[in-house]
Amino acid sequence: MNPHLLSILIFLPLLAAVVMLLIPTVQKAAYKYIALVTGGLQLLLSGYMYYRFHPKGAGITEERLYQFKEHLPWIRLDMGGMGRLEIDYFIGVDGLSMPFLFLTALIMIIAIGASWNMQKQLKGYFVLLMILNMAVMGVFSALDFFLFYVFYELMLLPLYFLIGIWGGARREYAAIKFFLYTLFGSVFMLLVIVGLYFSVTNPETGAHTFNMLHMMDPGNYAPNSLFSWLAENQLFGVPARLLAFIVLFVAFAIKVPIVPLHTWLPDAHVEAPTPISIILAGILLKIGGYGILRICFGIFPDMALQSAWWLGLIGVVSILYGAFVALAQRDLKRMIAYSSVSHMGFVLLGAASLTAEGLAGGIFQMISHGFLSAALFFLVGVLYDRVHDRDIYHFRGLASTMPRYTALVAMTFFASLGLPGFSAFIGEAFVIIGTFNSESAHGVLPRWMAIAGSVGILLSAAYFLWTLQRMFFGQPRFKGGQEWLAVLKDTSTRETLIMLPMLMLALTLGIYPAFALEKINASVLALVSLVTGG
Amino acid sequence: MPQPSVTYLPFVALAAVLLPFAGSLLSAIAGRRSQSGAIAITAIAGSLLTAAYVFAQVWGNAPVHGQWQWFVIGETPFHVGLLLDNQSVLMLLLVPLIALPVHLYSVAYMKGDPGIHRYWMYLGLFCFAMMALVVADNLFLLYVCWELVGFASYLLIGFWFTRDTAVQANKKAFIVNRIGDIGLLIGIAILYAQFGTLDIRTLFDPHGLVAASVVADGQWIASGRSMPAIWLTLSGLAFLLGAIAKSAQFPLHVWLPDAMEGPTAVSSLIHAATMVAAGVFLLARIFPLFNGTALMVMACIGVFTACMAAYFALTQYDIKKILAFSTISQLGFMVAGIGMGAYHAALFHLATHAFFKCLLFLAAGAVIHEMQHLNKQYGLEIDPQDIRGMGGLRRQMPLTFTVMAIAALALGGFPLTGGFLSKDALLVHALEWGAIQPGLLRLLPYFLFAAAGLTAFYIARLIFKVFVAPPAIDRLTQIHEVGKWMLVPMLFLAACSLFLVFSLHPFDVGRAWLTQGMVPDTLPPTLPAAHTLVPVTATLIALLMAWLAWKWYVKGAYPLRTTGLLYKLSLNQGYLDKLYDLAVISPVLRLSHVLREADRYLVDGTIDGLGRLGRLLAALAGWMDQYVVDGTVRLIGKIAYGLGNVLRRTQTGRVQYYLFTMFFIVLIVLLYQMIIHA
Repeated sequence: MNPHLLSILIFLPLLAAVVMLLIPTVQKAAYKYIALVTGGLQLLLSGYMYYRFHPKGAGITEERLYQFKEHLPWIRLDMGGMGRLEIDYFIGVDGLSMPFLFLTALIMIIAIGASWNMQKQLKGYFVLLMILNMAVMGVFSALDFFLFYVFYELMLLPLYFLIGIWGGARREYAAIKFFLYTLFGSVFMLLVIVGLYFSVTNPETGAHTFNMLHMMDPGNYAPNSLFSWLAENQLFGVPARLLAFIVLFVAFAIKVPIVPLHTWLPDAHVEAPTPISIILAGILLKIGGYGILRICFGIFPDMALQSAWWLGLIGVVSILYGAFVALAQRDLKRMIAYSSVSHMGFVLLGAASLTAEGLAGGIFQMISHGFLSAALFFLVGVLYDRVHDRDIYHFRGLASTMPRYTALVAMTFFASLGLPGFSAFIGEAFVIIGTFNSESAHGVLPRWMAIAGSVGILLSAAYFLWTLQRMFFGQPRFKGGQEWLAVLKDTSTRETLIMLPMLMLALTLGIYPAFALEKINASVLALVSLVTGG
Repeated sequence: MPQPSVTYLPFVALAAVLLPFAGSLLSAIAGRRSQSGAIAITAIAGSLLTAAYVFAQVWGNAPVHGQWQWFVIGETPFHVGLLLDNQSVLMLLLVPLIALPVHLYSVAYMKGDPGIHRYWMYLGLFCFAMMALVVADNLFLLYVCWELVGFASYLLIGFWFTRDTAVQANKKAFIVNRIGDIGLLIGIAILYAQFGTLDIRTLFDPHGLVAASVVADGQWIASGRSMPAIWLTLSGLAFLLGAIAKSAQFPLHVWLPDAMEGPTAVSSLIHAATMVAAGVFLLARIFPLFNGTALMVMACIGVFTACMAAYFALTQYDIKKILAFSTISQLGFMVAGIGMGAYHAALFHLATHAFFKCLLFLAAGAVIHEMQHLNKQYGLEIDPQDIRGMGGLRRQMPLTFTVMAIAALALGGFPLTGGFLSKDALLVHALEWGAIQPGLLRLLPYFLFAAAGLTAFYIARLIFKVFVAPPAIDRLTQIHEVGKWMLVPMLFLAACSLFLVFSLHPFDVGRAWLTQGMVPDTLPPTLPAAHTLVPVTATLIALLMAWLAWKWYVKGAYPLRTTGLLYKLSLNQGYLDKLYDLAVISPVLRLSHVLREADRYLVDGTIDGLGRLGRLLAALAGWMDQYVVDGTVRLIGKIAYGLGNVLRRTQTGRVQYYLFTMFFIVLIVLLYQMIIHA
């Protein structure tokens, strides 16, 4: 097995971007084919890695349990009195990241497929898409905090332009809002990174390090350093470690997003072109959840345990608030955007439960939401492409005019509302079960949170079925009249082909969740015992 | 008990479960080509045969349990498995036994419908989900099937999706059922947190974990785990909530009358064996979990539902609505029976009810079918489901009349029918239970008697108005008997509605093989007198009620005002739908609108405000920069320039000026010195 598989997976899109830059702009078709081939290769590669991934590879704190890892010195600088600067090119995969690498590859190729009819400035579009692809892969693989931060910030740039240039009417507003929101989080994250750097030393070399795994070991903190476990330093009257945890949590929680830091999401989704909506919902939100688990929980497990109640509360609030607001939306895309807020709330609730069931359920929910939300946004795109309207009340009886489309929508809606047989059911059910179990297991979350969270499952049925009833059933009647009727053709083969893999995956994971669970279980258990000290 | 010698039984049972699903899949693949229903009928017939074999092997023997690992979450394995005991194989047999006649009936009933290929697909899915539910060996799997049953019913109720009422009804059915699903999920979460397993045998065996757990000092203690005792009651109530939704009990029964929007054949299936039965079955399945409080609540809800629904059924005009409320009422009997500890009698009633209720619906469907036919033939506009527009049909549809009368007799609890046996079993047990209850609970059995009386009345009303009373219009004499595709299934079900299927003895319920297979461990002391008194009394009440209905509806001696409060309350189903609209749906929607506005103006407004504040600060800083910072710099420049400008004047190049300046400076220095020294 090639030892550089992971690096290849990450940097393949960069290569593609370079090739694209070399091709003259007149060769319009070339870009999408290069992108498609790159995406295909990545999908194959990540699929192969997923297959080869050993389920016992718990990872989390132990470097030897990471797989596909590469650990090379990158930047070494003697900084005189401040010691040696030690930044590594350190990447690796464990059960926490493996599913997301595959998910990223899948969502990327779907986004490329959804961009097939894109007309505007193709070269720039696909080059940015490739850079984004690389950055996301990097974020999920980086184990050096500096490297992580580089990839993390690198994501912002292409996204800003992809929304700001190729988006809808209020694209500039949405792009800058998205950019500032995320930047707000990550700037403070940088401060914490620097603080961690000066607190942690590599036990082998004695130098300060950005290695995340070293940051997870309390023994590596200098006794009097800022974030030392023992010193109990205070910053602005708050324990330093708690403050750092909160800062990192806020940075990632913006991405998840949590209520009340969610308002960038509806705007970004509504204004972004369909492929970018797919990427936003399918992958970017997961980076938030991933970051919370890998970094907030991994590096500050003590604070995670201490704050779990609040995280759970935020999760419950997000679930219910997102669902209620989704119920009141007229714009289909906004409705789905708010449903994302609600569904991602389950991730936070499951994580906060600090039980194996809840955490695994939360991760499963992220994977499931990855392709289901992508499917939902793609389906909105199908309708919007035809009539440039998304208002729920402007459509009626679509089932009679677009039966195949309706079948796809109905399946995706039911999958999203947690029908058994589809993946979201497993995720949500185990988040609720895990949350309920939390009090019996170690008294972290009260039981009412599970009950409150389950109301979200009920509400999701309400807003999805109501939408089905209003838009798809009944006698056909459209705002655009005959004109719309003429263009509302059923889904094309390309569109159906793009939908199929997502629905198949949702079904496969719903019927046989072990495909994902067997890969993530070991890491989940390791993370639970890290945080609860069990 | 002897162990059955075969070990491949779980696989046979699995085949029985999977056959309808395979049929459904094949129908889906065949798409529009599968109009005849041949695939679906073959599948359900095969399923019936295999289920019958399993039943014959398992009934009366020790349970057979087969399971395979499904997935592991954390360290806990979950299984897919079949638990074949008396309860489950009875239901496993019952479902295809009811479903097969319905399938056959549908061939004629649904003929020519443009969406018929979807119909067969949904029907197969429905049967599969229900059969999987009854044999599931753990609660998680049961929950999966539970929701799938709801999903399949959603598809079937909304089968005619261009009708607004149909899609509103299926949405309502799914969402109301979802409320119950959440109860079920919470119940599962409670058991999982307490026992760490969801396996039905491990939990609910006579020596299972639930039986072994104890309540002491306000704590519910199981091996190693404990939680406050209230959660024991709550777990029972949570599962009860699930059953209330699925089995259409008050206050969540409202979806069932609306579900009549589906094809009548589907209604017959939903009401007999595939959907509403699931709730009752669940309650019987997890019976050991219920403590006294939960059982009392269950009994009260059951009794109240039985009376309420029977009362609503009295005044309905829609033939299917009458039957729908009848189902709700009969399910109330069953739930009450379980609440009173007699789950064997409840399941017995479930089985007898399945046959006669299915038959009632199919016969009603036959009438509706012919009424529609009549409408089409003569261009009439009669509402084909309104019993006020019918009458005297016994002459034109004698066979339909006969079978429906048999079913009605069974529902009314008249002797020689299966319904007589099972209803009396419930009533006898209710009396025995009531005899040892404190306070007002003693009265509950008598309410059940009242509900039984109302039942006889409303079903007699239906039969008399449709078949016996004078025809509403003359054209009705032109109506025809239905074809044999519809008749044969009805005749079969009529045969199954008679006592012989269940007991060789027409009057003694104790001899019914069905109840003997599942007698609970603890029953209240028997009252020998009740065993003779109850059947006699119940039959007399039923006869009296039927006679009353005869007088009112056939003889035309109708004594009631249709404007009375009680009448209107019954006709409008207690105004419950309106109440829910006002008390639940509207507030939820209003809340969601308020939150949407808050989201836009408060949450996002704050963010936008911050943005504006930032721009304002930037503008301020810009102004500062331009006028204060840069202004200072420019001021200094200006001063330098002005000074330079002034001083420039001195550089004239004229010697006189320079000398004058020197002189002037010397003069000032001199003056200064003089002032100092002075």
